[in-house]
Amino acid sequence: MNRRDFFKFGFGGAGLAVGCGLASGADNSPSSSGRSVYGHPSWVKMIPMPKLAVDDKVYSRFNASNNIFGSFTRYYGIENRKKLMQESRERRIKYYLEKRPGYRLEDRALADAGWVISRLGGLNRGTRAWTSKSGRTPEQRGVEKYNGSPEEAAQLIKAAARYFGAATVGITMLDRRHIHSQERGKAIFFESANEPYEDEEKLVIPDKCKYAIALSVQMSLDNLQCSPTAISSAGSSMGYSRCEFLVAGLAQFIRGLGYVAIPSVNDLGSSVAIGVDAGLGELGRTNRLITPEFGPYVRLCKVLTDLPLATDKPIDFGLLEFCKVCKRCAEACPANCLSFDDQPSFQVKGEWNNPGHRAWFEDAPKCYAYWQESTSGCSICIPVCPWSKKDKTMIHEIVKASSAKIPALDMFFSVMDEAFGYGRPKDAGKWWSLNLPEYGIDTTQGKG
Amino acid sequence: MAEKGKFLVVKIRKSTWFVWVLRVIWVLWLLFWAEFTLGSWKELEKRAFIISLVIFLWSLVMGLFLWLWGYLKHKKA
Repeated sequence: MNRRDFFKFGFGGAGLAVGCGLASGADNSPSSSGRSVYGHPSWVKMIPMPKLAVDDKVYSRFNASNNIFGSFTRYYGIENRKKLMQESRERRIKYYLEKRPGYRLEDRALADAGWVISRLGGLNRGTRAWTSKSGRTPEQRGVEKYNGSPEEAAQLIKAAARYFGAATVGITMLDRRHIHSQERGKAIFFESANEPYEDEEKLVIPDKCKYAIALSVQMSLDNLQCSPTAISSAGSSMGYSRCEFLVAGLAQFIRGLGYVAIPSVNDLGSSVAIGVDAGLGELGRTNRLITPEFGPYVRLCKVLTDLPLATDKPIDFGLLEFCKVCKRCAEACPANCLSFDDQPSFQVKGEWNNPGHRAWFEDAPKCYAYWQESTSGCSICIPVCPWSKKDKTMIHEIVKASSAKIPALDMFFSVMDEAFGYGRPKDAGKWWSLNLPEYGIDTTQGKG
Repeated sequence: MAEKGKFLVVKIRKSTWFVWVLRVIWVLWLLFWAEFTLGSWKELEKRAFIISLVIFLWSLVMGLFLWLWGYLKHKKA
């Protein structure tokens, strides 16, 4: 009998009873005065600094061309890549001819269509342009620019962000080290400019853009649970398109108040690092952000601005301790690219990781190679996470609150989550007959 | 109570306090699993739904059985 079995059969009932009892005594005091409306559940603690340490001597701006999308061939080898892509094409046709659920024409078409809005933007391009002539500024309206207090402005931003589709929103002072040093072959600089701009050699962010608005967009868990298929890819692509709409709308709103706004999704800088600083969630074993409300099934984006805003704090909801013992994502990863280490470390796995911060670093080339192998990407690590829940029953909230307060129960919760069948892949063929809500998400989740 | 020389005897059996506590716990336990069962159904979590439904039904049947057993035992006495 291994450790999991021991917990499963030995302490099942007792642990559940303890969990229920303690959760009922969860701290109901407001977590932070500034987050009363757009705040987290009461069991989430605000902390002054993110839990995972940063080595200030090492941590610096990352060259985005080193990420897995920019340098996969370099990491994997040109011949290996050619072979991988050829096999992927063949497998794609084979699955199609077999009419395999999740890989049929309609599934592929859905995943592809999900990208349709996302493809309208890129780093300082289209919907993610750093300046815009289409909206009316206060000057054009003949009035002064918005001059509310930082607290009032933060409230406006959070309301507008939610209105444009954000699941959660947080604000932080911008740590420039989170911004890429280079991207799309151009250096990114900070200068004392009045407006952001781009020329032949560089992209320039004004020094005055001191605030970062971190935003999360909920993905459809019903889609992600079908991973790895085109149905789960549709969950991701749709998430990206909704990010595109969100940052474009929010940036235009800020410009309408008379301030600079730089919208960004995965470009420009690390949305995960900014999200951690802004208190959207904690860094998990997947080296991605995990939120208390939705677990990892969110896409992240951000807007940089010079509009003075009241900032939020990083959060602690016990995730670090949970990830240390759970390891469900690492066990489920078909490419074996997630770390099984008990503790996060400063040891990176390769150039695709930005060194200088503690994390469970992933083997990104293995992950991306599996995306090609599966022919439809992969997001298995998302639905298997015990924090990925639809929250239609109170037990999930009880477990989350108990885990936040009593790390000793984490292993038990992880094992029981598996025993109750959570995280098992769903039949992609049945997705088409689900009676899904708009965008495939429950927009009331995590809103109290 | 007398009627035409006949007597109707009303027996009031008072349960002890801990029996009432057990009944309340049992009802709360049933409510918890009923809510879990319905929630799992809404979440389309088949396995969680089946497990919670089995626990709910087992708890319900066992509770009713114990109650009936106690009732019959007292009746005999």
